[in-house]
Amino acid sequence: MYQFINTVLIGVTSGAIYSLMAIALVLVWRSTRVVNFAQAGMALLSTYIGYECIQRFHSFWLALLIAMIAGAGIAAVVDSVFMRTLFRRVSHGPIAGVAPIIATLGLLGLIRAGLGLFVGNADVSIRPPVSNIGYTISGHTLAFSPLKLVIVCAAMILMLALSILFSKTNIGLSLRASAFSPEIARLAGVKVDRIRTLGWAIAGAAGAAAGMLQTPNGTGALSPDSLDFSLLLVFGFIAAVIGGLESLLGAVLGGLLLGLVLAFVLTYISGSLVFITAFVLLIIVLLVRPQGIIGMKRGRRA
Amino acid sequence: MPRIKSTNFTRLLFFIVLGVALFLLGNRVDELRVYQGATLAMYVIAISSIILLTGYSGQVSLGHGAMLAIGGYAAALSHEHLGLPIWICFSIAVLAAAAAGAVLGTAAARLSGPYLAGTTLALAVGLPSIANQFPILGGEQGLLFDVGAPPARLGADFTQYKWYFWIAALAALIAIWWLQNILRSRYGRTWRAVRGNEVAAELAGIHIGKSKTLAFTVSSGLAGLAGGVLAMTISTVSPSAFPLSLSFSLLTGAVLAGVSTLSGVIIGALTLVATPEIADAISRRLGNSENVTTNLPGLLVSALLILVVLLVPNGPVEQWRKFRARSLHEVTHR
Amino acid sequence: MFGLNRGRLLVATAVLATSGLTLSAMPAQALSPHQEVGVSSTEIKLGVTLPMTGTASPGYNKVPSAMKAYFDYVNANGGVGGKKITLVVKDDQYVPTLAVAKTNELILKDKVFALLAPLGTANNKAVAAAVNPGRRGVPVLFVNTGYSGFANKKLFPTTFSLLPSYIVEAKIMAQYLKENFSDKKIGLLYQDDDFGDDALAGFKQAGLNFAVKVPYASGSQGVAGVPATWITKLSAAGAEVVVLFGVSSATGAALATAAGMKFAPKWVLGSVGGDATTIKALGVPAGVLYNATGASFLPATTDTTDEYIKLFQDINTNYNKGAVFDNNVLVGMNTAFVTVQALKAAGPNLTRKSLITAIEKKGATFASAGLTPLMFSATSHVGYAGYWFGTYGPTGDLKPNGGTYTMYTTDSAAGAVVKSTYSRPAMPAKGLPN
Repeated sequence: MYQFINTVLIGVTSGAIYSLMAIALVLVWRSTRVVNFAQAGMALLSTYIGYECIQRFHSFWLALLIAMIAGAGIAAVVDSVFMRTLFRRVSHGPIAGVAPIIATLGLLGLIRAGLGLFVGNADVSIRPPVSNIGYTISGHTLAFSPLKLVIVCAAMILMLALSILFSKTNIGLSLRASAFSPEIARLAGVKVDRIRTLGWAIAGAAGAAAGMLQTPNGTGALSPDSLDFSLLLVFGFIAAVIGGLESLLGAVLGGLLLGLVLAFVLTYISGSLVFITAFVLLIIVLLVRPQGIIGMKRGRRA
Repeated sequence: MPRIKSTNFTRLLFFIVLGVALFLLGNRVDELRVYQGATLAMYVIAISSIILLTGYSGQVSLGHGAMLAIGGYAAALSHEHLGLPIWICFSIAVLAAAAAGAVLGTAAARLSGPYLAGTTLALAVGLPSIANQFPILGGEQGLLFDVGAPPARLGADFTQYKWYFWIAALAALIAIWWLQNILRSRYGRTWRAVRGNEVAAELAGIHIGKSKTLAFTVSSGLAGLAGGVLAMTISTVSPSAFPLSLSFSLLTGAVLAGVSTLSGVIIGALTLVATPEIADAISRRLGNSENVTTNLPGLLVSALLILVVLLVPNGPVEQWRKFRARSLHEVTHR
Repeated sequence: MFGLNRGRLLVATAVLATSGLTLSAMPAQALSPHQEVGVSSTEIKLGVTLPMTGTASPGYNKVPSAMKAYFDYVNANGGVGGKKITLVVKDDQYVPTLAVAKTNELILKDKVFALLAPLGTANNKAVAAAVNPGRRGVPVLFVNTGYSGFANKKLFPTTFSLLPSYIVEAKIMAQYLKENFSDKKIGLLYQDDDFGDDALAGFKQAGLNFAVKVPYASGSQGVAGVPATWITKLSAAGAEVVVLFGVSSATGAALATAAGMKFAPKWVLGSVGGDATTIKALGVPAGVLYNATGASFLPATTDTTDEYIKLFQDINTNYNKGAVFDNNVLVGMNTAFVTVQALKAAGPNLTRKSLITAIEKKGATFASAGLTPLMFSATSHVGYAGYWFGTYGPTGDLKPNGGTYTMYTTDSAAGAVVKSTYSRPAMPAKGLPN
């Protein structure tokens, strides 16, 4: 019984982390039609900045805020300087599909290697800001702690805030319009490029949050070649695709679904099935609903 | 018609000459270079499969490493359990991967851009670990794939790595020659038509789904051959031989080569093999501190990649052609 | 547009490429007939591959600098026959295919004399299959893994192990568990590859049954939520004693997650993942390790009454920039110590063959910090064969039970586990083998 409850809790918590990453990927996708592999790199860099802040200011929350701001800033710079140049040079042909992916992959490698050169490859650690000891109910300790509660809440808050932004504000409308039909949006007076950069900035902040929150949740160790960040990106991407890449709700649902399925398979079947399960889940979802859980069958194809 | 025939013959001649040149070269260089040559040949085959899929057919696969894995495992299994000669094992590798590609391609035809990317990514991550579940696939430590020592009549000095180089180079020459044929055939024209404008192609009577699936199948078959060659050079197949970074390296090589044309494939493969070497040499000059040696290769490759994508996005070959066309244009339109 | 133009381009590229490769190829040096590869009149070059970065690297990446520190000490005191020892370090990130590539570089490009302490079961196996140092006659000294298969001289003719095999460790651990916890439910967390399988074989040999066995895919310890599933399974099965047979990063993840879930069985740490300093650096509070059981074949790192520990700590301060003296540093220095003896024992005419013969003939008499004898002989390439058990103290340092080192030894086959009566010979003067 408690194994079941714990498995659900594990699934929800890891699902929340994947959701944060998926939200970031969906944001960039919706505003630029680019899958941003550098997301992991930017999250890594932001988390390092957060680590430095913790060393200086001794406050995790302040560091989290600064990391998110830094993440937003880095993403904005990447978009306005890097991606815009890229799109100007590469607008048609088969390269158009592949170039952004490759470019962002290159950026990921650059950030990692750069961090390694300047900061060194040794592990540094980020301690959790709140206790990571599980809550206890009638003698049994759950796989759910204040830290994990924070993570889940963060994902929820972010999703809510972004949904409100997208559906109820002018900026949100501009974001959606710029992604859907840049020419018409431009005609309507929307500064498409700037809005797009804003989308990237928000994604950068979300990615930074994912990194800062996941690091103390995992082993607590942070290093430039943490495999954890790459895996986070891959699983976040799978979560986003499951969710349909079109809506933030989809990203959250996709993340939760992935987290829960993985948790159950690992606990009840076998610990070595991690990677296969993610793949099989994706295949099943795409077979049943090729546009993802919340995707819409749309005329425009990427 | 006669013109095409003679061109075909000329191309065949060219490949034979290239083969002889490689043979002579293989005798002159030391063992490390020969081993790198085998790896180079493998990359040539693998990158060409990406160029076919993405450059000519417009589909993006983030996980072509999985196709290499299928080919590699097929070759190893048929060698270990059925005891078949090496060339048959390689052929089985091609067929197995092509079959998988046909299946994936049919599904892929239904998926658009990022969904296809996501699926292939998950495949690359998930497929190798399937080996852990079935003991016949050897688990984490994998299977042995020993193509055997070079034949005795080549002499006692003929090293194992040189033998790999011969086999790999021959496979690459045959693969590229065959691929060039296909690309210049009706199928190649169909693919380029679909890539250019799907609606127009369909109006012209081309079946989009079939065309794309065929491209996927052929591309996967080539990847399977590359997988077999890769397995040969490291004498094993295991999940860790086909990591996600392999798929990304192939994409990188394809972009460096110029994804829309086959001519640059050697450049892409060469860069993949040479850059770590150059990085190593540079870091040695810079004093060999641990930090530098660990991170410099990655830095160089990533920086190179970004530069190429920004400055020469269509690949050096296309860029060169455009440059020549433009200067020709300028000269004739003075 | 198609045809010859493209063909010409292809030819040009191919010619350029291959000539580029040729030009950059290092000219094969004509070796003077008395000079072995990697040995010059001034230098002996050794090479090591291990994870310096990546998920599995914590802890292990301290070994090369420790080895270098001991070599520097020896070099400062005359070297080996006047020759200085240099160590070339290559990072393989615990990925077997990278290990193959880096080993190829070491042998073919750096032209090292021998490979020293390459790390990782899967890595060494891949290298053996792909690079085949045995057939090339390249010595593979004192592999940094306990996989029992490497002792097979037929399959690995130039390989010497040093660490006790995992089968040995598992058998001894099984005896310890049966003696002390026969009535408790025992759980096992192990890495799902040859490393873990070796341990399973040893446990099976010793007839130990587990209430629950949890395998983990190598590398998955970094995926969110995965360690939590291990702990959920272990606690759901009611395990009161848990054996951790994984690498340091997995061990650390398991301990940290268990602390968070308030799951506190009696922990028994395998030697591979049991380094306290590494575990603490991974965020595990020292309190979690307190009273856990661990094993080692070397003296405790805090045992300053031991002459080897004193020597190595000194060398660590003077030649290793005062790095933290933990088990990784100890293992590194001890391995380097044994290596120097092997080099010296090969005599004035140092060749790969003479080195191998020297270890086979005289290896059993080498001095070392190990508390069991070395089992090298013409038919055996096995190093140490035993362990002592200890308990982690409140600050996380491992100390032997009962204050003295009670060594248990056995073999990798069906031999029984016995208490060893071996008494370690004195250290050579100043820690410099003669």
